[in-house]
This record gives sequence, structure tokens and C-alpha cells, in this order.
Amino acid sequence: MSEELESRLRAAFRPVAPSDEFTQNLIARVAADQRSPSNARGVRERSPKASAWWLSASMAASLLVAAGIQQHVQERRERERGLEARREVIEALRVTSQKLNLAYEVIKSQSSSPADDAPGV
Amino acid sequence: MRSCSLGILFALLAASPAWAAPNPRLVLPEFSTLAQKATESVTITLDAALLAMAGRFLDGNDPQDAATKEILKGLQGIYVRSYTFDRDSAYHQADIDAVRNQLSAPGWSRLVETRSRKSQANVDIYLMVSNNQATGLALIASEPRQLTIVNIVGAIDLDKLHKLEGQFGVPKFDIDSPKAPPPNTKK
Repeated sequence: MSEELESRLRAAFRPVAPSDEFTQNLIARVAADQRSPSNARGVRERSPKASAWWLSASMAASLLVAAGIQQHVQERRERERGLEARREVIEALRVTSQKLNLAYEVIKSQSSSPADDAPGV
Repeated sequence: MRSCSLGILFALLAASPAWAAPNPRLVLPEFSTLAQKATESVTITLDAALLAMAGRFLDGNDPQDAATKEILKGLQGIYVRSYTFDRDSAYHQADIDAVRNQLSAPGWSRLVETRSRKSQANVDIYLMVSNNQATGLALIASEPRQLTIVNIVGAIDLDKLHKLEGQFGVPKFDIDSPKAPPPNTKK
């Protein structure tokens, strides 16, 4: 039984010579791959026009990203300066009002003890 | 030749300080020695551009911001120098003479002069009025341990300052609006 199976397998897997068409196709493919090293690596070759387009597109994209980042940084700086100016305005008015209040207190105290303070309005 | 001479004469007259409009902007000294001695110092220099920028960041819906925004309208500059010291008499009157001298120029009128013997706090408020409109305010507050100089340039509306009452602690002043101030009442 096992001998019969073995012989059938040998018959099924016997070496067979390839057809002429297969051989020619294979030789043609190998020759083409040797002419183009990039094809040998499986990379599709782009035409110079396509390469130029990709280069331009990537440069434009880089410029857009750079311009966007610059604008963002500029806006952020302007916002920081604006907030700082706002803080300074409020601080300046606070100091001013504090001193106006001081003058007011002296004027007010004039009525209670005129000899103590000497306001002039 | 004659027209050329007249042109030069007019140019000289126009450039002459005597003919120039009074400038409400004070030239504040560096006060570097005071800043070194002070334990706390406030130096604020806000020109028209910075005031406009600050105005854009004030929220009109917030009462304090809205009041501040109202005051900023028409202002061209706010300049504050304030120094706090840890001991009495850390500064001399000579330190502020350079500022006082400028306030003796035509156009400036002393609006308020307070001298308190009790607290030794002296506050002088000067106003510059041009065409019945306040165009500048100067305040010098000298206390034993604090010296403050404020210069506000622009169309100052004292009524708007009144509106700050309760916002920054600004009191109500019983001061008449400077429609027709007396000529240079100081000294």
C-alpha cells in the first residue's frame, strides 16, 4: 500500500521541463530588471515631470506650514503683549486712583481737623 | 533772496519752543538710584499704540474693563513711576525737582495741593488744559516711604475718572470740571 502511494507521488512530482514560452518570458523579465536597477528593487520609476510636481508640492506644503507656524507665533506674541498692556493699564489706573484717594482723604480730613492738614483745591 | 529769508524766519519761529503748543508729556527721569534703593518699584510706560492694544483686550461686558475702556478713549499715553522704600526719607525733594520744573511751564495748572502733617503725605495734581479740554494730567504723591509720579497724556475726562469709583477705589472728587481753569495757580 505504501509502495503504491510512493510511486504515485513520484509520478506526480516528477521533474518536468518548462515550456519554451515560459523560458522566454523569464529571460526577458530578467533582462529588463537588469536594465533598470530601481525596478529590481520593486520601486516604480517616476517621470521627471512627476518628480518636479512632487518637489513643488512638497515645497509649497512646507512653505504653508512654515507660514502657518509663523502666524501662530506672531498672534501668540501679540496676544501676550496685549494682555501685558492691559495689565499695565489696570495697574497704572490702580496706582493713580490710590493716590487720588490719598488726596481725597486729606481733603476730607480737613473738615474734621483743619489745623492738621493743608489742602488747596 | 527776500522770500528765502522770510521762509527761514518762519521756519525758525515755527521751531521755537515759545510758539510750540504746550506738551502734556513730561520727560520723566530715569530714577535709577531710587529704583535701586526701593523695595518695590512700578515703571509703566504706555504710549498710544500700547493703549490701543490694551483696549482690544478689555472685555466690554466686564464692568471694570468697560470703565477702563471708557477712560482710555482719547488718551495718548500713561506713564507711572512709583517707588516704595523700607525706611523714611529714602529720597529727596531734589529727586522730583526735574519733574516739578516741567510743571511750571505754561499750560499746566495746579488743580489740587494737599499737605498732611499727620501722615506727611503730599499730593499735587496738575492739569493741562487746551481749548477748554484737559489734555494732560500730572500727579506727584510724596509720602515718607513712597514716591509716585503719574503722567496721563490725552483728552482726560474727569467724569470718567469718577466712574472708576468702586472699581479701583477712586473717590468722588468735588472738583469742578476744568472748563475754565485759572491761569497757572501754583506757587
